Parts: sequence; structure tokens; C-alpha cells
Amino acid sequence: MPRSAPRNLHSVFERSMREVRRSLLGWLVGIVGFSLIMLSIFPTIHGNAGFAQLINAYPEALRKLFDVSDYTTGPGYLRSEVFSFMAPLLLAIFAILWGADLTAGEEERRTIDTLLATPVSRQRVVAEKWLALATAVGVLALALEVLLGVVGPLFKLHVGWAPLSAAIIGSGLFALSFGTLSMAIGAGTGSRGFARGVSAAVAVVMYLISTLSQLVEWLKPWRWTSLWYHALGFDPLSHGFNVGHLLVLVACVAVLVVAAITLFTRRDFSN
Amino acid sequence: MWSSMKAQALDTNRGDSLASSHVMELTNVSKRYRSGGGVADVSLSINQGEVFGFLGPNGAGKTTIIRLLLDLIRPNTGEIKLFGLDSRADSVAIRRRIGYIPGDLGLYERLTPREILTHFAYLRDKIPWSKVTPLIDELDLEIDKPVRTLSKGNRQKVGLVAAFMGDPELLLLDEPTSGLDPLVQQQIHELVRRAAFEGRTVFLSSHILSEVGEMAERVGLIRAGQLIAVERVVDLAKRSSHLIDISFESPPDPNFLSSLEGLRSASVVGNQLRAEVSGDLNPVIALIATAHVTDLSIREPGLEEMFLTFYEQPHA
Ligand SMILES: Nc1ncnc2c1ncn2[C@@H]1O[C@H](COP(=O)(O)OP(=O)(O)OP(=O)(O)O)[C@@H](O)[C@H]1O
Ligand SMILES: [Mg+2]
Repeated sequence: MPRSAPRNLHSVFERSMREVRRSLLGWLVGIVGFSLIMLSIFPTIHGNAGFAQLINAYPEALRKLFDVSDYTTGPGYLRSEVFSFMAPLLLAIFAILWGADLTAGEEERRTIDTLLATPVSRQRVVAEKWLALATAVGVLALALEVLLGVVGPLFKLHVGWAPLSAAIIGSGLFALSFGTLSMAIGAGTGSRGFARGVSAAVAVVMYLISTLSQLVEWLKPWRWTSLWYHALGFDPLSHGFNVGHLLVLVACVAVLVVAAITLFTRRDFSN
Repeated sequence: MWSSMKAQALDTNRGDSLASSHVMELTNVSKRYRSGGGVADVSLSINQGEVFGFLGPNGAGKTTIIRLLLDLIRPNTGEIKLFGLDSRADSVAIRRRIGYIPGDLGLYERLTPREILTHFAYLRDKIPWSKVTPLIDELDLEIDKPVRTLSKGNRQKVGLVAAFMGDPELLLLDEPTSGLDPLVQQQIHELVRRAAFEGRTVFLSSHILSEVGEMAERVGLIRAGQLIAVERVVDLAKRSSHLIDISFESPPDPNFLSSLEGLRSASVVGNQLRAEVSGDLNPVIALIATAHVTDLSIREPGLEEMFLTFYEQPHA
């Protein structure tokens, strides 16, 4: 039996990482599994002329909606099968769930009283918790990058580092935005359920705005309001990094971090 | 009478001339929750080095006051100072000097007590682990099982170690003994006594008068959000009454206790005499000793009863 103090709990950041450790491992397994399944299917599609014909026979509206153009190439396959929905969704669900837990969960479990009785400012508590959220999302995104970029070629899937990284960073920042939103709403209300519900709803609406704007003409001028558009809607797998879109995402996260800190600092913990 | 007035005058003088010796000072503090309830217009000063008992029935506002002190909730009106600092603006500096155990303790269920205590030791300005282990040993706390497997008493011990470690200048203990067995309660009393002996200040809430009386020098009585009295324990004990049941072999004389100065009421049921007596118990015991008694019980009145006695009686 160890007689000393553990070394990984010296700060709110470290304790948050310690608490999420097991759940993060679960999500990692999920993302690895998902990626491996997607990769293992690719060789049968790659260079398969029949598939190309099949896809081309789809109505154009469907092809746009499901993003299935050049399905048989590496970037095209990733665009339609991995980044059109699933990968960013997985990251966003994780971030939204944990974001609310970091603020409202701590309050609902009543651990906030003893935490905020220590000489740590509320600003610092939120900042460290956000850092933990960003780190965890980063770990999941990195796993995705390694799997698709390094393991992918073993399955004949080749994609440039820049387009792949642009799509992954877009997905990560999209997830982090909504995770931070969830954290901020949790900080302001103390309710995990409410924070998660609202954040998920806003994420879905933004996804729809961006995706449907390809089909619906009148939506097109509004697609800039959608974080999904700035993350993945502009097609990073074809165009690579775009500084403008990246800045919008970063600015959005920054504003939400400030909001979370402000709401938490003003909060009267009387629920 | 004269001496108590003198003592009061001295107290007042001390308060005026040495305002800075007040560890805690609440001035007209009100906090109203949106759903009603809260505390109204509470003014209270706690001296350096005293054990102050904060007494009140459920829902009286004890927890509300303690959470206001910690800046977990903010008052609607009034001013709160701790160590002469503003409870809100200087909260971090204040919390550096406070140990706290909440009335409704929440712990990180996925961690072990060792992990939790390490965490709080670090957050509380890196209290060295060598200062934490003596408390763990004293309370005989098992620290390597996940918190979710611990009994209520052991969970509370985790909270107690977290509050007492590093010898904070001010201890805020919100009903620290509730739901614990007598042994653990005694351990808590011991920790409080030691803190007081070392000149540290203890603010302790409870709804059990006898428990507070054992540890505290002064008590504040709060009911329905109002601080209705602050008294020294010795004065309170003098005024409060006891319920006495005496069983005899045959029906007793109803006037058996009537020579007692503090007798409030007496009634006979069968072989039993039930009486309410205020003030000193020694004359009662002396009188009872003269008779042949088969059973005897002396109880303190409940908190509500005590409040009633307190306000029926003209203040000496
Ligand atoms: N978070 C809250 N929101 C709304 N009302 C509250 C809240 N906390 C307490 N109250 C109300 O404020 C009053 C005082 O409550 P408080 O918890 O301070 O009492 P207490 O003296 O600590 O009681 P107990 O002995 O049961 O712990 C009660 O009427 C309670 O219903
Ligand atoms: Mg309480």
C-alpha cells in the first residue's frame, strides 16, 4: 500500500483529467473502433468502378446532402463517410456531455462547496476545467488523426496531411465550441440536463444550416452563421486549411470561455 | 446581577476598542432565496479564538450563513467581513485561512480518500502530506478504497480531515456530528477543543444544544432566518430548564419538590412525578436523594422548548 500522496492531483486540471480518465478511454476505444471499421471497408470501394457508377446514379440533391462526390478516392471517402457526420459528432457528444459535467455536475454532486472553500479563485477553477476539456478533445482528435493519417495508408487510403489535419482541427474546434457552450450554460444554471440539451440542439441546428444550404438557395447567405460551415462545411478535405474559418472557430471558443468564466464567477450557488 | 452587568460592560468595551480582534463580523446581512426562505438582518461578531455554537432548528438558516461567509452565495444586503477583509472582494485571501466542512458533504465518488485529501492539501497552499497523515491516523480512516464504497461516518471523516488539515485559523463546521456514532462525535469534540486550545476560532452549527454547550463558549440562536439571541453558554444553562421524571415505590406527594426555587411545574401520574425545573440542578439532586427512588431521568428540553423558556423568562 502506498504511503505517500499521489502526484497527479495537484490542481483542478489534474483532478479533472483523473476523473475523466476511464470515460476518455472508453471514447478512445470507440473512435479507434469506428475508424478501423471505416478503413477496413475502404479497399473494397477504392477504385471500384461499379461504386462510382452507383453513386453517380443518385439524384444530385442526395449526393450533395450526403456528400458522396468522388467516393472512391481517399479524401472523398473520408469526406462522405467520416467527416460528413460521424467523427465530428462523436467528438461533440463527448465534449457536450463532459462540458456540462465539469460545471453543473460538480454542483449537482455538491462537491462545489468544498472546492470553492479552498483558496482557488472561481476564474481559475473554470479556466483549468476548460483546459481539461480541450485536452481531452485534443486526445480524441489526435487519435483520429493518427488512425486516418498513419494507419489509413495500410488500407490504401491516402490523404494529404494538410487536408486531413484541417478536417480534424475543424472537427475538434467544432466539438470544443459546443463543449464550452455546454460548460458555460452549466456554469450559469447548475443543470447538466439543460446545458446538454441546449448545446446539442444548437449544434444540430448549425449542422442543418450548413448542410441544407447546399440544397436550399435562400439558406446560402446564412451559412456563415453556422460553426459547422466554418469547421467542415467549406470542405477542408478539398481546400485544406482556411485561416478565416479557423479564426472564426477560435474566436467563438474564446468568447464562450469568457462567458463560462463570467457566469461561474457571478453565480450564486443556491440550487 | 451587578457582576453580570459589569461583565457585559467589559464585553462591549472590548468589542469597541479591539474591533480588529473580530475574526468574523456580519452587519445587517440578509439573504433571500428566490423560492423564499433565507436569513434576515443578521448582525454577529465572533472573537478571535472562541468556539461559537450556531444553534437552530432545521431550516433556520445556519447553512445559509456559513455559505455566505464562504462567498458561495452572496447577500442581498449587509456586509460580511472575515479577518477584517471583505467576504466577496477578498474571498481567496480569506479562504486561505479557513477550514470548512459542509452540512451536506459531497465527495468525488470516483477517487479514493487519499486522492481527495491530496487534492485539497494542494489546493490549500500545498499542505505537506506529513501534516495530513496524523489526522488520518487519529480518526482511523481507511484511505485507499473508492469513496463510493465508504460508510457515512467514514465519508464524514474524509471531510473532517480536509477541514482540519493545515491548522486553519478559522473552522466553519456545518453540523459536523450529525448522523455519526458517539465515538466519532467524541473525536470531533476533541478536534474542536484542541483547535480552541491552540487559539484558533471555531464556528460550529448544530441543532443539539447539549452538544454545542459541551464545546462552545457562546451560542447564537437562529430561528426562521432571524438571529434571536446570542448568549454565553453558562448564562443559557442557568436559565434553561430540565424535565425530571422520578419514579417511586408508591404514589408520591405532589409537593415533594415544591421547596425548589426553580420549580416551574409538577404533576403526578401513578408512581411517577414529572417536574420541570430551571436553573441549578444541585438542589434537585439533593432533595431526590432524601427519598427512596426506583427510577430517575433528567432530560434537557428540546430546542423549541428551550427557546420558549428563554423568552418567557424576564432577562436577569
Ligand atoms: N438553495 C436554496 N434555495 C432556496 N431556498 C433555500 C435554499 N437553501 C435553503 N433554503 C431555505 O432557506 C431557509 C434556511 O435554510 P438553511 O439550509 O440555511 O437552514 P439550516 O439551518 O441549515 O437547516 P438544517 O438544520 O436543516 O441544515 C430554509 O427555509 C430553506 O428552505
Ligand atoms: Mg444546514
